[in-house]
Amino acid sequence: MPRSAIASERAVIRAETRRRWSLALPALTVITLCSILPLVVMVGYSFMEKGQYGNVEWGFSLEGWRAVILEKDFFDDSYIPATAHLTILGRSVALALLTTALTFVFGIPTAWFIATRSPSTRAFWMFLITVPFWTNLLVRTIAIQEVIRADGTLNRLLLATGIIDEPLQMMFTNGAVLVGMTYVYLPLMVLPVYAAIEKFDFRLAEAAYDLHASRFYCLRKVVLPLMWPGIAAGSILVFIPALGAYVTPRLMGGGRAMMWGNLIDLQFGQGRNWPLGAALSIALTLVVLGAMVWYIRRVAKGGESIG
Amino acid sequence: MLDIRSLSKKFGAGNSAFHALKSIDITIEEGEFFTLLGPSGCGKTTLLRMIAGFEQPSGGQLVLDGKDIAMIPPNNRPVNTVFQSYALFPHMTVAQNVAFGLEARGATPSEVAGRVDEMLEIVQMSHLRDRKSSQMSGGQQQRVALARALAPRPRILLLDEPLSALDLKLRKQMQVELKRLQREMGLTFIFVTHDQDEALTMSDRIAVMEGGTLQQVSDPRALYDHPANRFVAEFIGDANFLAGVIADAKLGMAGQPPVPLPRNEAANGPVTVMIRPEQVVVGPLAKDAITLNGRIETLVFSGNDTQASVRLQNGETLRLRAQNNLHAETTLTEGQRLQVSLPLDALRLLPQEAADAA
Repeated sequence: MPRSAIASERAVIRAETRRRWSLALPALTVITLCSILPLVVMVGYSFMEKGQYGNVEWGFSLEGWRAVILEKDFFDDSYIPATAHLTILGRSVALALLTTALTFVFGIPTAWFIATRSPSTRAFWMFLITVPFWTNLLVRTIAIQEVIRADGTLNRLLLATGIIDEPLQMMFTNGAVLVGMTYVYLPLMVLPVYAAIEKFDFRLAEAAYDLHASRFYCLRKVVLPLMWPGIAAGSILVFIPALGAYVTPRLMGGGRAMMWGNLIDLQFGQGRNWPLGAALSIALTLVVLGAMVWYIRRVAKGGESIG
Repeated sequence: MLDIRSLSKKFGAGNSAFHALKSIDITIEEGEFFTLLGPSGCGKTTLLRMIAGFEQPSGGQLVLDGKDIAMIPPNNRPVNTVFQSYALFPHMTVAQNVAFGLEARGATPSEVAGRVDEMLEIVQMSHLRDRKSSQMSGGQQQRVALARALAPRPRILLLDEPLSALDLKLRKQMQVELKRLQREMGLTFIFVTHDQDEALTMSDRIAVMEGGTLQQVSDPRALYDHPANRFVAEFIGDANFLAGVIADAKLGMAGQPPVPLPRNEAANGPVTVMIRPEQVVVGPLAKDAITLNGRIETLVFSGNDTQASVRLQNGETLRLRAQNNLHAETTLTEGQRLQVSLPLDALRLLPQEAADAA
């Protein structure tokens, strides 16, 4: 090919590339403004000095990050590991895992039920599942409070039927937090799993029965492996927001058992330690990122070994 | 081996109930290639699904080797199916698909491995054993589906229109191969199809179904030569239907003087006379034939033969096929007046049905 032809071809490719980038511009703008920029601000804040009345002051400091890991001893000002943070992180992870597990247990049958209805009634059931999404999180949480508080619906029902003699203390316990979290995040599990089940070709289940598989064997070897992408997506969608959950633990747990989200809130509020708050936020993001990489790798491998 | 006894299936209840099968009786012999043939909605697939165990009969029995299996769930029946959609497990390799039925029954790993190798060998798919089903052509998927269904050593192999998704050439090839496989293994096949050519070339016996009832069960030759009724004659091959009248063992048709029949098989009264187009002879025949006058309305050349549509003097239309033999005595042209002969032994007298009035 003559040199000029190569040059003109390159020019065409360049023009084409430019055109594609300009098409992607709106999306890139949104991503930059809403995702990358706040993240950059938070990373920046975490390396600044704290202001006396909150906010940050210009100047590089590792104090924020130091405080994530180490705290000053109350008596002799020496640094000791911030075990309280570790406990809170552990509690948050445990809560997020339990929430994911519970939404899984309740979400799979729910999704299965909806996906196996007739197409016309499916829309109705999906509508019921998505209704809570239109409602403010606070309102939803207070609604579930109303059900389980000392003189709430559930206690009154149990008292009236004579199953219990005095109201059960359900509010402000770890159980209450878990109930609230499961309730709030259930749709995030149901939706992707529903999509996976809806796509499932039930003729495959028929083929499995025909090939001497019991119902359980068919579920384990055919149905679950093919629903795996939906289950993985649902688990990630529940686990990530659950890890940073703030409103629900606070309202349902009464602030007694602090979660990572509450810890961050504290630093930006009463604690007036914005660099520490920012560092805690970024730390959580890193934990989530690590967990996701591990999970996706495991699922990808798992999918193959199952297959 | 498999006795289907007054088997019926009703979907729904009351007045809106749909009778998919109306009291079917068939006995299928060991090692037989048995075909259920009929147009869509005739009940052939329902019958197959009932033998597989996916549908429960509303009445009757399904006796396999002396045992009623009608209520046994599909996974406990010694019967496997090749599905129309193949239904291969997309997350498994070819070998894993073939192993499925054996593993589900708890066969030992060495047993499974040996049988999988053997099956893949038989369907010539050994070289693709680690492929996923999504990476294969229709014909290859078909072979895997066959190997998978054969692996657990079924007493009967059920095939639900397995060739319908293949192109013509591949279909012909698979027909031959399926037939060979069935002969070699000595296995009982129950094959469902709506394609009469497929049924005729492959089957030992064919059951023609329509509207949930059996129309005729016999071997391909007898089905073609001696159809039991107009539906069978029309569904299998090409047929002419002419009006006739039987009186005192003589057949009168198309305004011709009555001719004595070689065998007195029908009662007096109107009948439908069926003759295959290739049995019609151009020109007069010396004896044992009815000779009619007519005029060629249309001619269709189709390679090995020519199909002519002849308008008879009484207004009826007769189609005939003439071999395109270079040494043929007569050549046909459109508009030509000619005599056609219907040999008496090629005529079939069918009971007249309500629909035959026209």
